[in-house]
Amino acid sequence: MKSYQTNPFTYEVIKDALIATGEEMFIALAKTSMSPIVYEVLDYACGLTNNKGELVTQGNGVTGFIGMLSFMVKDTIEKHGDSIEEGDIYIINDPYKGGGSHLNDVGLVMPVFYEGELISFVANKAHWTDVGGKDPGSMSTNSTEIFQEGLQFTCLKLFSKNEVNEPLLKFIEANVRYPKISIGDLWAQVAALRTGEKRLKELCDKYDKEVILESVERFLDQGETLSLKEINNLPKGTFELSDLIDDDGITDDQINIQIKITITDDEFICDFTGTDPQVNGPINSSYTGLVSSVRTIFLAITNPAQDINDGAFRPLKVIAEKGSIVNTSSPAPTSMYWESMLYGNELIWKVLAPYLPEKLTAGHLMSVCTVIMGGKHPDKEGDFLIVEPSVGGWGAADNQDGDTGQFCILDGETFNVPVEIAETTYGVIIDEYSMRTDGAGAGKHRGGPGVIRSYRALTDNQFFTASYGHHKLNVWGANGGMDGSNNEFLFEKADGTIEGPFGKYNQYKLNKGDKVILRTATGGGYGDPKERSKKDIERDILNEYITVEQAYEFYGYKG
Amino acid sequence: MRVATDIGGTFTDLVAVDDYGKITVGKSDTTPGNFEKGIFNVIEKAGIDFKEIEIFFHGTTVVINSLTEKKGVKTGLITTKGFRDVLEIGRGNRPDLFNVKYKKPQSIVERHLRKEISERLNYKGEVISELKLNEVDDIIEYFKECEVEAIAVSLLHSYKNDKHEKEVVSYIKEKYPEFSVTASSELSKEWREYERTSTAVFNAYVKPIANEYLTNLEKHLMEKSNCKRNYIMQSNGGTSTFEIAKESPINMVESGPVAGIFGASILGGLLREENLIVLDIGGTTAKCSLVENGEVNISTNYHMEKTEQFAGYPLKVPVVDIIEIGNGGGSIAWIDDSGSVKVGPKSAGADPGPIAYGRNGENPTTTDANVLLGRLSLENFDTSISLDEIRKQFDESLGNELNIKPVDLAMGIIKIANSNMLNALKLISVRKGYDPRDFTLVAIGGGGPMHSQALARELGIKKVIIPSTSAVFASWGMLMSDIRHDYSQTLLVPVEGLDYTGLNSSYREMVNNAADTLGTEGVQPENIVITKRLDMRYEGQEHTVEIPVPFDLINEQNIEDVIENFHENHNRLYSYTLPENGVEIVNIKIQALGKLDKPTLVEAEVEEGEPLKAERKVYFEESGWIDLSVFDKDKLSPGEKVNGPAIIEEKSSSVILHDGDTLIKDKYGNLVITIGGN
Repeated sequence: MKSYQTNPFTYEVIKDALIATGEEMFIALAKTSMSPIVYEVLDYACGLTNNKGELVTQGNGVTGFIGMLSFMVKDTIEKHGDSIEEGDIYIINDPYKGGGSHLNDVGLVMPVFYEGELISFVANKAHWTDVGGKDPGSMSTNSTEIFQEGLQFTCLKLFSKNEVNEPLLKFIEANVRYPKISIGDLWAQVAALRTGEKRLKELCDKYDKEVILESVERFLDQGETLSLKEINNLPKGTFELSDLIDDDGITDDQINIQIKITITDDEFICDFTGTDPQVNGPINSSYTGLVSSVRTIFLAITNPAQDINDGAFRPLKVIAEKGSIVNTSSPAPTSMYWESMLYGNELIWKVLAPYLPEKLTAGHLMSVCTVIMGGKHPDKEGDFLIVEPSVGGWGAADNQDGDTGQFCILDGETFNVPVEIAETTYGVIIDEYSMRTDGAGAGKHRGGPGVIRSYRALTDNQFFTASYGHHKLNVWGANGGMDGSNNEFLFEKADGTIEGPFGKYNQYKLNKGDKVILRTATGGGYGDPKERSKKDIERDILNEYITVEQAYEFYGYKG
Repeated sequence: MRVATDIGGTFTDLVAVDDYGKITVGKSDTTPGNFEKGIFNVIEKAGIDFKEIEIFFHGTTVVINSLTEKKGVKTGLITTKGFRDVLEIGRGNRPDLFNVKYKKPQSIVERHLRKEISERLNYKGEVISELKLNEVDDIIEYFKECEVEAIAVSLLHSYKNDKHEKEVVSYIKEKYPEFSVTASSELSKEWREYERTSTAVFNAYVKPIANEYLTNLEKHLMEKSNCKRNYIMQSNGGTSTFEIAKESPINMVESGPVAGIFGASILGGLLREENLIVLDIGGTTAKCSLVENGEVNISTNYHMEKTEQFAGYPLKVPVVDIIEIGNGGGSIAWIDDSGSVKVGPKSAGADPGPIAYGRNGENPTTTDANVLLGRLSLENFDTSISLDEIRKQFDESLGNELNIKPVDLAMGIIKIANSNMLNALKLISVRKGYDPRDFTLVAIGGGGPMHSQALARELGIKKVIIPSTSAVFASWGMLMSDIRHDYSQTLLVPVEGLDYTGLNSSYREMVNNAADTLGTEGVQPENIVITKRLDMRYEGQEHTVEIPVPFDLINEQNIEDVIENFHENHNRLYSYTLPENGVEIVNIKIQALGKLDKPTLVEAEVEEGEPLKAERKVYFEESGWIDLSVFDKDKLSPGEKVNGPAIIEEKSSSVILHDGDTLIKDKYGNLVITIGGN
């Protein structure tokens, strides 16, 4: 074991202060953001790294960014190295390198100097409502090149010694659809970075700089120790699984994704070699997207409650061939990247679930189920734009039924938009927000019901785009539990005609009175349904989670 | 004679004051299951003649206990067609990000008891689908079958127009008076249907219980006394009559904790200290709150049982902003999986309690650390344990594993406990853009005075006040309280092109409503004080900033001051402004006080004798062991100055003065400490 100069109590106090700094940056950004995708969905992250780019602490609202900030910083170091100066801020959203995901997720990186020495970086990444490209919201289900998806920032200097790069700012302003919102969010990101910088410097003032730097390294080492301890408790060996992704939005072909996990005493290796090459449609994932996804389930398996830093991920290796759908290269489109990224954790979750019932549930809705919708409000000036994920059912586990109405694993402290706020802000009326009680996910423990939400247009010429992954296959049951259902949406025109159900659609036109009905998956069941207690079955019937017929068919209930 | 009683988890406290200002305090065991017994016990124990009680104030945990123990009555919900699952879907958030087995808050009303009714309003509050009242009969029939006792009614957009909700409620009240009914719009007129429904449902759930409790208490009180003026402490730092509390018991959810914070604001007013940070350290938790310009901060963002890992249940009622952390005298020190030393949130509780209690406690606590460092004296504990035995226990539990001597471990525990509290204090101050150096720290609770000086120094605070009745301070706060009701209405209008007549008439309606309620509580019009506020934001933002409106009517001229104030506050909170962006009014709010006359304060009596009672060795991180003078607080004369380092003891607590600190006891018995040194 390494020895450290700083006494354990001072270290503890400094560690708390570092974590608090990450959280403070996180809160600062939400409170000043202009876009619901940031302040309701919390689709952003803030963190600080050591001077090599290793993540020390991160404030998260969603799990999806857990592998990205350090890559952004490392790319900044690689590209700008010795020319990095105090007061510089870099802007970066490159999906092929440098911690990118899709172009909407725009990152900022700022060095922190103390007494002339580069001691750390603060960084954040937030989903901008629009970064240009062919469709409003910059996300589509049918783009075929990155150039259709908006602006690419390949680690450019946004601030030079605290001076903003005005031409770049003007250029951004001119090329995005809602400049007030996007530039507003950019300033919110800058304010958060400066808060982080200030707090770090205060810490160095209060304690010795060397004490801070040592504490940072010690914190990383602690993360590693903790992960190794947990890996020690996992089953050892290799585990293999393949699965099919719905399609790329362009053709109807399913896409193969596969994994080989090797767990040894001190390593957890995830090898995606053999996965299909990148596709024409926008569901390609960056390598860092894949890493985020793998890290998320790695934490769920090892220690969900730990303070997260790069030390914890030292034993984790993620291998994916460049040019494959989970390690994409230019100019593949990536705006709906999560449809493949999510499989990074899904495959690990599913293949290890039988071994770790105390940690893992049956399958959940497994898609962000993103809705992008826009048009005119009947009473208000300007266009409204909805960009939101959808809630659905989660899987059951050895000791519990699945939850209903939760966002997928990639989200987190994400909030749905209340009906009363949605109807005020958007030009729609919501006829229904209810549970999808389709009887799927039967088991000793029952999967959580999916959710139905409908939007009826109040004006003509609204558009609707959505990507509801896991549409073609139902989500999986565990340990004898039955599969859940799928994600889908359909259109009900004012004249009563129905179109769908679909899993993806780009720019469907809705006129006044036309309605889109969104249905998310019910989660998978756990254990043999015949083992469910009579009392629970009867309660499910009473509460109309299942019908009497379903009780008979799936659970063998005869009254 | 005015009497205030406060029921806590362990003790029922009492503070009484007679017409001459003489204060009596009392403490008695809480009697769960039959709380009024404990109340009468403490009154008798304090030697108070029931016949002399003229005003009675009461703080109680009966509501929060029924809620957290899920011991309310069977409740049914009536809601808009298409939306009965809103309560179960909630907001979809998962604060425990990496735990895939997360369980969200479970709906208190089962699905089959959530019934839908045909009706619909649009976002403007206009009826787009008529209410079908006749559907209520079938619903009630079903509720009867299921033995439902209470009903909540929560319809979409009722915050904007409560017509349909009121119709359903009065229909039930007339036709089915056996049910206890709650409409969501009675409790909250802010948007967000899940939060409002949750509030209504929990109110319905505890209403019969609170009713029975208050009715019983009132009856027994009336039998023994002639007291007709009975008030209940609410979560907004004010009181209401029993009658009002019976209608909306959910307003009592934080009845106990807020009284201490409110008391501090009153004490601050008496001592001409308007800006306060209040720190209350008890056995298991530390609470802190900020008082600005003499006002406690209120918000409607309260979530019951919320933690970092759990979303909690939203209750959209006005609650004093308090941050509470699991860090009190009984908090246990332990080593986590990564080898880090932690203090709390687990507590040794009252049994076995800290090692120093000598009841076989094995885990080092903050209290034990204070004992080993000489800050607390074992003589003040009812215990037979020795310092050596405590040291031995420190070694065996953690010290040997960490290879750290007991005194260093004790110092480390204090450092971490202080760091935890410091983070909480920063959350309410620095993180909200306040500079702690502009504030005075008020330390209450048993542990407050022991840590407050070190924390004040860290924050740059120059003055600390320890109230004379700090051990029963919540009850003292109640004695000083007024009747208070807060109202809020979501409007959502841009400031540009504002309809002033409409805005002012919305305010007037609110004020009239408040005056009516206060009238039924016996408040004369001249004793009503109304304060107006607005929740404002930049167009497109979500979070709002609360801005005072010190005008009778808002007009084109004075709105400019309000907007200017908004920019300034936005800048303080978030460090920037967007002067070119539009500004919106989200909620209009009023605070309505029904002023109650206050008892006169008299000077504290000083006990005979020499205040200097002993010398003992005390450990400080900077100086190691040093000999300190120990003073008896009750024997200090007003105006007498004590220079640090020193210790001032009272029965249940110790005040630590560090080198450079000075302390003066004021004539009311409060200790006023000036923090010296750097």
